[in-house]
Amino acid sequence: MKYTVDGSLCTGHGRCYTVAPTVYAPDDEGYNLRRGDSVEVSPGQDGDARRGARVCPERAIELAE
Amino acid sequence: METDRFGRDIETDFDIDDPAFNEHFYDVLDTMVARCPVAHSKVGKGYSLLNRYEDVRRAGQDWRTFSSAKGFQPNRPEGMPYLYPEESDPPRHTDWRRALNPFFAPNAVKEFEGQIRADANDLIDAFADRGTCEFIHDFAAQLPGRAFFKNLIGVPVDDLAMLVEAMDAGTYGPVEERAASFGRAIDYLGDFLARRRDEPPRGDLVDLIAGGVEHDGEPCSWEERVSVITDLTFGGIATTTFVMAGALLHLATHPKDRETLVREPSRIPNAVEEFVRYYPPVVALGRTVTKDVEIAGHRFEEGDFVLLNYAAASRDPDALDRPAELDINRESILHTAFGVGPHRCIGSNLARLELRVVLEEFLRRIPDFALKEDTTPEYETGVLRTMTSLHLVFPGGRTEGDAR
Repeated sequence: MKYTVDGSLCTGHGRCYTVAPTVYAPDDEGYNLRRGDSVEVSPGQDGDARRGARVCPERAIELAE
Repeated sequence: METDRFGRDIETDFDIDDPAFNEHFYDVLDTMVARCPVAHSKVGKGYSLLNRYEDVRRAGQDWRTFSSAKGFQPNRPEGMPYLYPEESDPPRHTDWRRALNPFFAPNAVKEFEGQIRADANDLIDAFADRGTCEFIHDFAAQLPGRAFFKNLIGVPVDDLAMLVEAMDAGTYGPVEERAASFGRAIDYLGDFLARRRDEPPRGDLVDLIAGGVEHDGEPCSWEERVSVITDLTFGGIATTTFVMAGALLHLATHPKDRETLVREPSRIPNAVEEFVRYYPPVVALGRTVTKDVEIAGHRFEEGDFVLLNYAAASRDPDALDRPAELDINRESILHTAFGVGPHRCIGSNLARLELRVVLEEFLRRIPDFALKEDTTPEYETGVLRTMTSLHLVFPGGRTEGDAR
């Protein structure tokens, strides 16, 4: 599974890395560290990746198999 | 009509300042979400409300069509100065946010944890032995101001009461007096900022604001800088109070949840997120439509004023299961209490930190408390919502002179 964080939508709510710190991380200002990138989710962490995406108020995280 | 039982038809004739909204808050919100994706008001020049999560998100993110530059209040009082960056659009908004954001990032606010914890304990010390407190006056109205003043702007804590009062009156007071009430806070903060400008720099948030930002290579005006420190202060002291109070009210009346958090403080951060969702201090903020657009099946025209009903969107069953239920163990908490789009609450990380520390300390010091008999919490609601009294009792030493 891959996740992509839309850099124009992420405004730094911080919900993704709070509920799924194994998958998502913040940058120095509290935005998703990998915004704009397409990132491979480590094996076994699909559930966390989904949980983090689900709580993003901006719907900025897209998941793809 | 079903939407009529609140004394008026909330679909076509809503009034956010109506005491009936204050009284039937959740009922009105849930009715709106269920029955009117768009509601309208005839008050003043009239305004509309978007009530569902997906519509609020779309409008909040589309700042070009839904502009903040004409203010967040419906029927904005004459003479009310604009609050930046809240009441501005990119690029002005972006210039400020880029400069301010680092001071409010999760890692930056974490530095304040010790001071906030000490302040929480100071406030609790004053009533712990009494066995009773009025939580708003004794704690919730004071802690956010202290946290903001001591850690971020360095305004004397003694002046907090005056600022809280001025901003309160500017929000909930008689409409015709709001600009003047708010003006008192702006005058005070303008004097403070001018004093700091003339002192040696400390490299802090106040220096940054006093120095201003540039728009298109031109330095911004002094009034704009005063407006920024006012906006941040307003957000810092006028909001978190309500979530704190709501959390304590819930825990006073739901012993099982209280016991869970006392036993397992590691569950507090999740509970905080649910309390923020359920007790939203910011009910709805407005946008001005810049071009004709259709949303939620309604055709908006250029110049229309639309409130993004964050409080309703956080109770949308399409976004969240069982939204009317406060569940501190909820798994996926999705809400719009901190707004959505580029105007996302800049203080959200500070608010969460304050709330976590407050719950940790209160529950550690006073693990067993209840609502005082024969009292009911009082609320105040407009575009913001707050609680104005919450009487708690707890086994806490002697009740000197017996409060009754």
